Amino acid sequence: MHDPKKIFVADDDTDILNIIRMILQTRGYSVVTSKNADELFSYAQCDLPELILIDIWMAGADGRDICSRLKKERLTSKIPIIFISANSHIATIAKDYLADGFIAKPFEMNFLLQTVKEHLCAS
Amino acid sequence: MTAPAESYNELVSRVNDLTAKLQESNEIIDSIRRGEVDAFIVQNNGKNEIYTLRSADKAYRLFIEKMNQGAVTLGANGVVVYANSSFAALVDTPLEQVIGRLFVDFIPDAERQQVIELIETAWQHLESRGEIILPGKDNGAIPVSLYLNQLEIDGGTALSIIASDLSLQKEAQEQKKEMEKKDEFITIASHELKTPVTSIKGYIQLLQFGFQQEGNNHAAELLGRVDSQINKLTGLISELLDTRKIENGQLPFHFEQFDFNGLLDEIVEETGRVIAQRLILEDRIPGISLFGDRNKIGQVITNFIDNAGKYSRPATDIIIRTSLNNGFLALSVKDFGIGIPKEQQAKIFERFFRVSGKKENTYSGLGLGLYISAEIVRRHEGRIGVESEEGKGSEFYFELPVAPVQNQQNSA
Repeated sequence: MHDPKKIFVADDDTDILNIIRMILQTRGYSVVTSKNADELFSYAQCDLPELILIDIWMAGADGRDICSRLKKERLTSKIPIIFISANSHIATIAKDYLADGFIAKPFEMNFLLQTVKEHLCAS
Repeated sequence: MTAPAESYNELVSRVNDLTAKLQESNEIIDSIRRGEVDAFIVQNNGKNEIYTLRSADKAYRLFIEKMNQGAVTLGANGVVVYANSSFAALVDTPLEQVIGRLFVDFIPDAERQQVIELIETAWQHLESRGEIILPGKDNGAIPVSLYLNQLEIDGGTALSIIASDLSLQKEAQEQKKEMEKKDEFITIASHELKTPVTSIKGYIQLLQFGFQQEGNNHAAELLGRVDSQINKLTGLISELLDTRKIENGQLPFHFEQFDFNGLLDEIVEETGRVIAQRLILEDRIPGISLFGDRNKIGQVITNFIDNAGKYSRPATDIIIRTSLNNGFLALSVKDFGIGIPKEQQAKIFERFFRVSGKKENTYSGLGLGLYISAEIVRRHEGRIGVESEEGKGSEFYFELPVAPVQNQQNSA
């Protein structure tokens, strides 16, 4: 049996973080969560995940900046990053910051799982 | 003959006087010809009367006369040689009493020294700026900015002063700030409303998944209904936000090439689950692709189907057709519901419009869906419309231009 794929999730809302973790666990993914984008950046440097889901509008560091920084680092540049946001400009923002995809809040559980699966397969 | 020498001298002096006056007159006439003289001030019974000349500059003069800011021209002696009516209003003095007086006469004592310095600076350094307070009518102090500029007109110099009533600008700034605050409020409200909805929806879906795994279909079905109500709430939040964005010209569009049938299938599947009518998909065009905002076009189709469901009875048919005419892809959604009275059909795409009739209170919604749909279609340079007969049903349609790329592929 393969090791479960590791996914990092950052969102400053505890409930949403829990929900995403539980949804991903229904498919056996290994999930690391963080309420802080900077913390996620440090984690990603030493323990490379296979995919990152990040809220773009968090208290403290901004998900967009973290995406730009991760895409510039040699080690993390290839990790697919998916933005999650309630912002209606999310499609344009994701394109501008070179994110690999986006999920608009509120989201369908199946859409989240499908998006994650597609990006894991593509990478 | 008496004192002929004196007479001669007298005559010479008179001739000299007249020559000087003639020369002066000639100079004035020359000045008028050169366009250097705009107006004469004539003293009459202690009042200054101004006579302005018509000239090629009339358009500019009218422009200055009509502008909101006060405009003043000062001679070297500090006397007002020209002023527009806005300035006269600003200093609350009839225009004819402004011309010919010293500019500083209109400035309150407390501000006078500053204005004298501004005038001196402008003479020395070509321009100067400052802000003063004028008393204004009814003791309402008016903040005024002064912009002084030295003008050279065919060798002569004058000072132009533009006096702007800042209370209007400040008011406009306040209004702009107010608008920005409202926009910010909408953005924050959107985030704040959608965040708890995201949590509720997430937990509901997890519970539903759990019950399904356990085989408790009844509980799963009930939660499915909660979920569809949450989707309605999300839809209402989005409608309000989209309307606000249309008003501000900020509705975001994300154009891309996409497979139209794929989108149509998704929507028919999603909406088919929640409406009580039969959705029938007819006349589809194989392999058709469009260049546009996929989500937004999907929003229009969903809106058509939702409306069809809302205004017709359960278990009736709703027919969706697509066709291709002259480079336009047409999609229509036909229902057999209550229909729309003729006089209301033109208004149906207006904001906050809702079909009214005997049973209007039974139909939910904000009356924003079709308004937003019309805006989306308009942004795609398409057409939107409706054909309807009261009591028989309605057929809503849109026509969107097909991307030229796709046309070439189709014809190949």
